[in-house]
Amino acid sequence: MQLEQSLVQWVGNLYAAGLSWWTSLGIPEWVWVALMAVLKGVAVLTFLLLNVLFLIWLERKVAGRIQRRPGPMHHGPQGIFQTLFDALKLVIKEDIIPSQADKWVFITAPLVMIAPALMIWVVMPFGPDLIARDLNVGLLYVSAVSSFSILALIMAGWSSNNKWSTLGAMRSAAQMISYEIPLGLALVAVGMLAGTLSLKGIVEAQQERTWFLLLQPLGFLVFIVAATAEINRAPFNLPEAESELVAGFNTEYSGFRWGVFFVAEYANLLFMAGMAATLFLGGWSGPAFLPPFLWWLLKTYLFVFLIMWVGWTLPRIRVDQLMELGWKFLIPVGLANIALTGVFVILT
Amino acid sequence: MSLDLISFIVLGIITLVSGYLVVASANLMHAALFLGLSFVGVAGIYLVLGAEFLAAAQILIYVGAITTLIVFGIMVSNLQDLKAGGRGVWARVVRNLASFRRGLVPLVAAAGFAILMLVIYRQSLWPAEAPPASGSNLATVGRLLFTEYVVPFEIASVILLAAVLGAVALSRRDDQPPAGSTGQAAPAAERKEGR
Repeated sequence: MQLEQSLVQWVGNLYAAGLSWWTSLGIPEWVWVALMAVLKGVAVLTFLLLNVLFLIWLERKVAGRIQRRPGPMHHGPQGIFQTLFDALKLVIKEDIIPSQADKWVFITAPLVMIAPALMIWVVMPFGPDLIARDLNVGLLYVSAVSSFSILALIMAGWSSNNKWSTLGAMRSAAQMISYEIPLGLALVAVGMLAGTLSLKGIVEAQQERTWFLLLQPLGFLVFIVAATAEINRAPFNLPEAESELVAGFNTEYSGFRWGVFFVAEYANLLFMAGMAATLFLGGWSGPAFLPPFLWWLLKTYLFVFLIMWVGWTLPRIRVDQLMELGWKFLIPVGLANIALTGVFVILT
Repeated sequence: MSLDLISFIVLGIITLVSGYLVVASANLMHAALFLGLSFVGVAGIYLVLGAEFLAAAQILIYVGAITTLIVFGIMVSNLQDLKAGGRGVWARVVRNLASFRRGLVPLVAAAGFAILMLVIYRQSLWPAEAPPASGSNLATVGRLLFTEYVVPFEIASVILLAAVLGAVALSRRDDQPPAGSTGQAAPAAERKEGR
């Protein structure tokens, strides 16, 4: 706790000193602010890429253990460097754009996919002071930015000019539009309970009362199911159902562009797990023997493991089951949860 | 020159250019995607003005819902001329600007609109200061919605509900049992027979 606070303070002092040095050179202040914003972006990107490398290895290990095989074992202890080499291989692979593809949309789609996956981290509180920007519309920002990825999937699927891609894109659009609603309903109930939409405020509200997991069991259920569907994880991975659609929306993508989709997918997985930890398990708060950031990381990886565990255990559900679960179960439960939460807020 | 002004100029250019490309591109899919980009530009301008709530709502509704709906609609409808103009958008722009009917007339109309807006802008009184810091943004919007604007708010929600019911009533066919009424036993195969 002490170490982290002093570290944050040190960085803050460095920033202020740099700013005064910069203005003494006669260059306007905004150039420094813009440069620092770029630097912050690079820092977030590095953190995410390291996590993604680890997540992919973890996924393969978890999948392996569940299927009673060891998973990757070469390249480092327990195959830990496997994904690093896979990533290097992806970067040097040939970039193939199908001749019949809509070239510009095909090229832009991975960018539209990765940009929101990075932007969304702006509001994530890693610790009491470790938050890029504490927006007072935090939850709304999260649902707004995450709605870009539907568009990216449709762009990728449509521009590939391939029936598997188009089918995958259609499925993903239908699925994500359906599951955005219960996700939003679960977020509304959390906001009502905390009295604020700022993620920092939600963590502080949980420190005052108790974890929202105990106050919002229904909301948590709706959130975790809808979040799993929203990030296209198994058992909701219909957009890329490999046994029917080859690879779904990204069938035609190869090399680095495909890698970008992959990174965005795992970044979204990490973000949704981090959101679940922040909204329902008290985020960075915890006993003082570990620094807040480590508490956040532990809780997040708990949810990452939970999502992977469910994904590798349950079979993929059918399209009609998917729609029924969303519209006939999750949305009514989410609405009922909002009504119950309203009664609870008035009574307490 | 502040960062705000630079952001405003860049976002304004993005919004205007993509707005023009919505009407200029022959490919319907591209037009829809440019429409989304222009919405994003407007949301960015809201952010520069400190209206975070409005920006988030703009992205959520216009980009997340409306653009997606349009793109989805284009994908499921069978349009033959969809791939007509995959390339040469800029060539078309230049050609359109040179022609009378597609270049001059819209330009005159746009200029007239701009003059009208300028006259209105010069005549009305505008708040000289930016609204107080956006910290209370959300609470203010919420309070106003449930006090001063409660009637329009409720009317809007009833209209939306009526539209949803109307869409369901229009798309439902009476000659087949309502889909899913039998629960698990109504998979795709049965619906195919109904057609």
